[in-house]
Amino acid sequence: MTDLLSVTVSGLLLAGLYATMSYGLTMIYGVMKIINLSQAGTFMLAAYVAFTLFTYLGLDPMLSLVIIVPAFFLFGMLLQRLFVSRVPLANTPTLPSLLLLFGIWLVLQNLAYMIWTGDDRSILTSYTYSTINFLGLQLSFTRVMVFLIGLLALFALQAFLTRTYTGKAIRALTQNRPACMLVGIDVDRIAMLAFGIGVAFDALAGTLMSLLYAFTPAFGNTFMLKAFVIIVLGGLQNYYGVAIGALVLALVESWAVMFMPASLQPAIAYTLLVIVLVLMPRGITGLLEGRRTV
Amino acid sequence: MLELKELEVAYGEVQAIWGIDLEVPEGKIITLVGSNGAGKSTTLRTISGLLTPMRGSITFLGEEIGGKKPHEIVARGIAHIPEARQLWPDMTVYENLELGAYSNHARAHRDKTIQWVFELFPRLAERRHQKAGTLSGGEQQMCAIGRGLMARPRLLMLDEPSLGLAPMLVEDVFRIVREINSEGVTILLVEQNIVNALSTADWAYVMETGKIIMEGPGRELLDDPHIRGAYLGV
Ligand SMILES: Nc1ncnc2c1ncn2[C@@H]1O[C@H](COP(=O)(O)OP(=O)(O)OP(=O)(O)O)[C@@H](O)[C@H]1O
Ligand SMILES: [Mg+2]
Repeated sequence: MTDLLSVTVSGLLLAGLYATMSYGLTMIYGVMKIINLSQAGTFMLAAYVAFTLFTYLGLDPMLSLVIIVPAFFLFGMLLQRLFVSRVPLANTPTLPSLLLLFGIWLVLQNLAYMIWTGDDRSILTSYTYSTINFLGLQLSFTRVMVFLIGLLALFALQAFLTRTYTGKAIRALTQNRPACMLVGIDVDRIAMLAFGIGVAFDALAGTLMSLLYAFTPAFGNTFMLKAFVIIVLGGLQNYYGVAIGALVLALVESWAVMFMPASLQPAIAYTLLVIVLVLMPRGITGLLEGRRTV
Repeated sequence: MLELKELEVAYGEVQAIWGIDLEVPEGKIITLVGSNGAGKSTTLRTISGLLTPMRGSITFLGEEIGGKKPHEIVARGIAHIPEARQLWPDMTVYENLELGAYSNHARAHRDKTIQWVFELFPRLAERRHQKAGTLSGGEQQMCAIGRGLMARPRLLMLDEPSLGLAPMLVEDVFRIVREINSEGVTILLVEQNIVNALSTADWAYVMETGKIIMEGPGRELLDDPHIRGAYLGV
């Protein structure tokens, strides 16, 4: 019983990280209809930057977020302006966009090999092994903090998307591009901002990951694939759907540990992906909404 | 106010507009009619900057605007209510209207304009928190017109606002267009509903396969034998 409870709670905590790492992907897909294959590169690079700031300046990764997130926001906007904006527009991801973003990922990886070598790195803080007591469960302090920071970021994103003109423009651009142009939205500028925000979210997720996992320049691809599963579960461009998708994947993965060998755990995400693609192509939220008349 | 001169437009290799001249004087209602595929929507899309002219000029208030970006054109006071409404279906009516006032000069007057839109369309006020995708066809059209007005345009271009509406609602749409015009907004109206369009407009242009084949005062064209034969089936 406590076993089920503790597994469920750790699933919930993991869901916070999963949602955080998926919002960037869903925002960039929504606004530009491209799959950001360079996402894993951002996870990895942010982890290394956090590592460097921690090792050389003694800056705690949770504190270094105030530097890393804005820096990657600018980096994302630059990437969009220089490269992504040159890919022809389309309603579905095209080969050129996938190749471009995959190429960016490779470049980032090689850059990381040059700067940090291929050795395993990890961040060992004073609280890495601390636990806190919650309803009789011993929870990892780091995991609880990661969950809370993720939750805070999601609320901030939610407020931004529903309260500000720019946030609304991002949602509008996701739903109908020509209409945005006709009301006077500078769609190129919004696309650049959205890519920057997406990359900033990826960097946030990558920094949080650096507190939990060891990493090399190849780090990030399993998480990117999971993020992809999550946004498909969520219906690709629905922010609530992404939160639900993250929860489903994290819980299923956590529960599965009780029934199957841990070595099979990575297969869960892909099994889920196949089930979703076959049975509910519009994702979980597609099922909840039922038929909509547009 | 708006003047097109020898305008030519193409979609890639395929030319759709073959040199048209058209003038919209300030304060008037001008209509552009013609059958399917004549190039009416293409003309509006070019004026609003969604398409770039291949040749010719578009001047608005004395300034060349051909080839400018849509947001620059909206900022100069032209709003385009597109064919098939093009609302944001997952956003509320209120959000759709709010975003209509995106450009700086419109944003400053947003709350006042929204009051005006709600007076024109009380139905929208009732449904302000409903998602636009769940509105009826007529309500969606009202929302689209309302969104266009939110930009505080000096020139409002409407692309087939009466399409797919019940006859009673069609009358409503034309009444609203006249009402908007009486508030000082110049109108360029594209329509397939020729009788209503010609009787509403001060001046009408008739378009066929990318060219303007006829123009004149709306009511005079209504009596023209060619128009009666080709479009009214009499
Ligand atoms: N996106 C496009 N790509 C290529 N050709 C197009 C495109 N849109 C329109 N056309 C062509 O341009 C011509 C003019 O089309 P347009 O939509 O302007 O006609 P219209 O007068 O608005 O017709 P309708 O009354 O049916 O709306 C047509 O021959 C059409 O096939
Ligand atoms: Mg048309």
